[in-house]
Amino acid sequence: MSQYQFLIRRGLQGLLVVWGVVTLVFLLRFMTPGSPVDFVAPLDASPELRAQIARNLGLDQPIYVQYAQYLGGLIQGDMGYSYIRGRPASGIIVSRIPATLELAVAATVVAIICSIPLGVLSATRRHQPTDYAATTFSLVGISTPNFWLGIMLIMVVSVGLGILPTSRRPIGLIPAIELLIFQFETVGIRAWIAHMILPAVTLGTYFTAMIVRLTRSGMLDQLGQPYVEAARAKGLPETLVTYKHALRNTMIPIITVLGLQLGSLIGGAVITEFVFNWPGLGTLIIDAIRVRDWPIIQGALIVIGIGFVVINIVVDALYARLNPRVSLE
Amino acid sequence: MTRNGPILRVEGLETRFFTEEGQVNAVHGVDMEIDDGEVFGVVGESGSGKSVTALSLLGLLESPGRVTGGEIWYRSAELADSVAEETPTAVDGDYVNLLGLPDRVRRTLRGTHFSMIFQDPMSSFNPSLTVGEQIAEAVEAQQRARSNPRSVASRTQGYGLSQYLMSFVSSSRKYVSEESRDRAVELLEMVGIPDPVLRAEEYPHEYSGGMLQRAMVAQALAGEPNVLIADEPTTALDVTIQAQVLDLLDEIQAETGMTILIITHNLGVVARMCDRVGVMYAGEIVERGALADVFDSPVHPYTQGLLGSVPDLGGSSGRLQPIAGNVPSLLDHEMPDRCYFADRCPKAMEACLRKPPELPVDGAAGHTAKCYLAEEPFDESTALPDGYFEGGSTDAADPADASGAAEVASDGGESE
Amino acid sequence: MSGRILSDRVRRSLKREFSRSLMAKIGLFLVVLMVTMATFAPFLAPHDPTQQGLDESNLPPAGVTQTSEEFRMVDGERTTVTVEREGSLEHPLGTDALGRDLFSRVLFGARTSLMVGLFGTLFAVGTGVSVGLTAGYYGGRTDDVLMRFADIMLAFPALVLAIALVGLLGPLTILIPDPFVQLGLVTGMPANFVFPITLTIVVGVVNWVWFARIARGEALSIRQQEYVKAARSLGASDWTILRQHILPNSLTPIIVLATIQVAAIILLESSLSFLGFSGTSLSWGFDIAQGRQYLGTSWWIASMPGLAIVAAVVGINLLGDWLRDALDPGLEGEHGGGM
Repeated sequence: MSQYQFLIRRGLQGLLVVWGVVTLVFLLRFMTPGSPVDFVAPLDASPELRAQIARNLGLDQPIYVQYAQYLGGLIQGDMGYSYIRGRPASGIIVSRIPATLELAVAATVVAIICSIPLGVLSATRRHQPTDYAATTFSLVGISTPNFWLGIMLIMVVSVGLGILPTSRRPIGLIPAIELLIFQFETVGIRAWIAHMILPAVTLGTYFTAMIVRLTRSGMLDQLGQPYVEAARAKGLPETLVTYKHALRNTMIPIITVLGLQLGSLIGGAVITEFVFNWPGLGTLIIDAIRVRDWPIIQGALIVIGIGFVVINIVVDALYARLNPRVSLE
Repeated sequence: MTRNGPILRVEGLETRFFTEEGQVNAVHGVDMEIDDGEVFGVVGESGSGKSVTALSLLGLLESPGRVTGGEIWYRSAELADSVAEETPTAVDGDYVNLLGLPDRVRRTLRGTHFSMIFQDPMSSFNPSLTVGEQIAEAVEAQQRARSNPRSVASRTQGYGLSQYLMSFVSSSRKYVSEESRDRAVELLEMVGIPDPVLRAEEYPHEYSGGMLQRAMVAQALAGEPNVLIADEPTTALDVTIQAQVLDLLDEIQAETGMTILIITHNLGVVARMCDRVGVMYAGEIVERGALADVFDSPVHPYTQGLLGSVPDLGGSSGRLQPIAGNVPSLLDHEMPDRCYFADRCPKAMEACLRKPPELPVDGAAGHTAKCYLAEEPFDESTALPDGYFEGGSTDAADPADASGAAEVASDGGESE
Repeated sequence: MSGRILSDRVRRSLKREFSRSLMAKIGLFLVVLMVTMATFAPFLAPHDPTQQGLDESNLPPAGVTQTSEEFRMVDGERTTVTVEREGSLEHPLGTDALGRDLFSRVLFGARTSLMVGLFGTLFAVGTGVSVGLTAGYYGGRTDDVLMRFADIMLAFPALVLAIALVGLLGPLTILIPDPFVQLGLVTGMPANFVFPITLTIVVGVVNWVWFARIARGEALSIRQQEYVKAARSLGASDWTILRQHILPNSLTPIIVLATIQVAAIILLESSLSFLGFSGTSLSWGFDIAQGRQYLGTSWWIASMPGLAIVAAVVGINLLGDWLRDALDPGLEGEHGGGM
């Protein structure tokens, strides 16, 4: 019951934040130099043609009218038409979401699977080779720009060893699964995996490194707590002392930090997509910025903002679930 | 059980911490004997090594601490039988030297033979698991240990990471069984917690301090241990609640005949609970004997100082009063080869510059003191002059070293 | 209260932590190395980093020999020839596709990273601390409005916002004359340093929120202290209280966070330069983008600047860890955004 109230309250707060993002993104266009007409009209366009284009784009209206129109359209899922492609921006943006989502989820899964055991081992074998290796890895991991890591991986793995492909990926996850189920054809899913490995590792490394750091210091802190000694004193297996007792309390603060860090996951995804020519929101947004395709820029930024807000609500809910002292409030 | 000798005999126990500042002799030759079914009290100031002694008994010392010497003889015919083959040197009749046993065997003793009540119930329970769950874990651990002693010998006790991960998927792989949960509720009821079924589902922060300490007692009783070690069991509690917890321990002791080792700096607790007592100072037991002997006719000037400054022994407010001088440094290179108390002792004599052995006190069986006054009366003529230990000597530790020693003491598990 | 930034106690704690930590020493070494490289780049660089020489293109680093097959015009016909290039100390890290000396470019690139890192952080600290102190000190409506705004900023991935801002505002730069060249101490080096001003402001803008949150929290808690109440009852003005009491007390966590933020901002700067949004061509990120096209033939072009970034950021992070361990402001793991 109170859990639903909690979610509704956070949802409303999130809505407010999304509205703020929409407004800022809308204002961004008026803060930047140059008119969108410059990018749309031919270089030799007559003033009449330019005025016509401005009218078509709705740019002749006062700001507040444009804002109201934009908001009104947004509520109906209308983000305007791409200046460059002449198609609805919403359609273009939505078609790019799965690729970004698949990449982000894959990277997160890679990060969580690798980092938590590594952080725990590092803490339970403090000052042993495992610990030194894990701390060095995590230090270098949080200090490496992911675009460079991606390029180095391409250089060594794809160009040098010739193992994994660097071409634009041929198939998404859902078509690949459909192919597998309906036609018993594994070629799709194999291609999907082959194209996913390097980007996921590139994007996931920073997070793996960060979670290792957080887990290690959190575990060291928790393992020194009296309740750990008490758990050992009652004869509990070390596995449970470490994972059920200490790790549980370690994860509670880590989850909050992770929630805050998801922003850099999304940011990292943009760059990673650019490096691997990944057909997601990141490449879309970078391309659109270069040609000032405003409906796409605005729409994509808003979608990213919404995604971030939703993820944060999920993280908060998870936090409340894990920490008994929160759910009671 | 046959009544032939003490259940626990500690001989020359030495526990050291190897820190950056140097070697710290937290426990420095502790001798004591605890009889079956008695309540034995260890009393001393903060940093005297009481808690480290308790952790050493259980084998729960964390790095950089290590037991470096001595023997802990524990009487259990059953245990002696089971380990005689593997470690014959650790067995002497019904007695087993715990320090001669491998870690995996000692692990099996926790909860079943020895269990412990910790000082601060709030921090000794995991804040994110229900109280019932945690007590049930203790029950389960003991049941598994009894039904299959071999399985608990390994570090994971047959319950490794894969088992734990599977428990999220299949409830049959859960560590704690339904029976153990039921038993946990029974235990809560036994220690006087009302509505135990409901309270078992609550988290530690929903309990009051006294209730939680009762729950901790319940947890310690889960494995029906032979020896219960209570480390400052009432320090963190309100005065009115303290008496209730002590009553509870009393009741349980009367019912089960369990041996209880109480570690405290509260003389009132000792006077209220204990049959016999050992007084600890600077890592050793300086005086021990029956409660009446030690408290009525103390021999060691340290004991006298402790007792002299307490107005009413029966009152639970009888905390230790400070004695003139500083708590000595336990850093190895700063520990002098003499009676450690001499520099604070009002009756220090020339003889005290040699380390006194444990000497029997006349007129009372089992009453001993590490002090020459046990044998001969105070002799003014050989008394050391005032200020003998001040200035220039090794004892005048500079402030930086003193703060280092204080840090070390807190590392050593003393957290009063 | 004011005047002295670090108390004796803090200084002792810094010293003790430094002497016992190998990592702090490595960190300090790397940071000193980077600052030296950036400051004295014109003296240390063997070549003008912008000087092109097509006959010296794609030379490998010293001690490396690279064999590749290239198209050449021989007797008016296009044929494939095997070219062997040998690296020499003339170009210790090799040259890029336009024959520019990579070692010199790495040295000058340190300037861009360091300047953007420092000034971007200063900008973030200035904005964030002002906003945070104001919000925390005055509380009420001011606090609500400012912190709501901060929430919206936090609801946006810093890197994405930075890309959008820099990409859309356009890469404005200012030229700062190089003092060494101006004084005639060195010749044959670029006369001006190109300072990417838009980029610097943007990386500050996307990072100020972290400082605002810390400053606000500190101001909230310190506002309640007795001595601040006493100062107020004695008639001290708001500004005096903020400057003399609240600011010095919130300094420790801000210093630690600022150190870590320099590292985060250097990473951010390199990402934006990599995308070509910085407006300067003397940047590690920019060079990596250049080298990306030659991964198969000239591995060193993209590798060397990247190693420089990693070394610099590792150094600053180690320094941040040292400060955090020594000052312990309870910031565990609160890194700012940015990759």
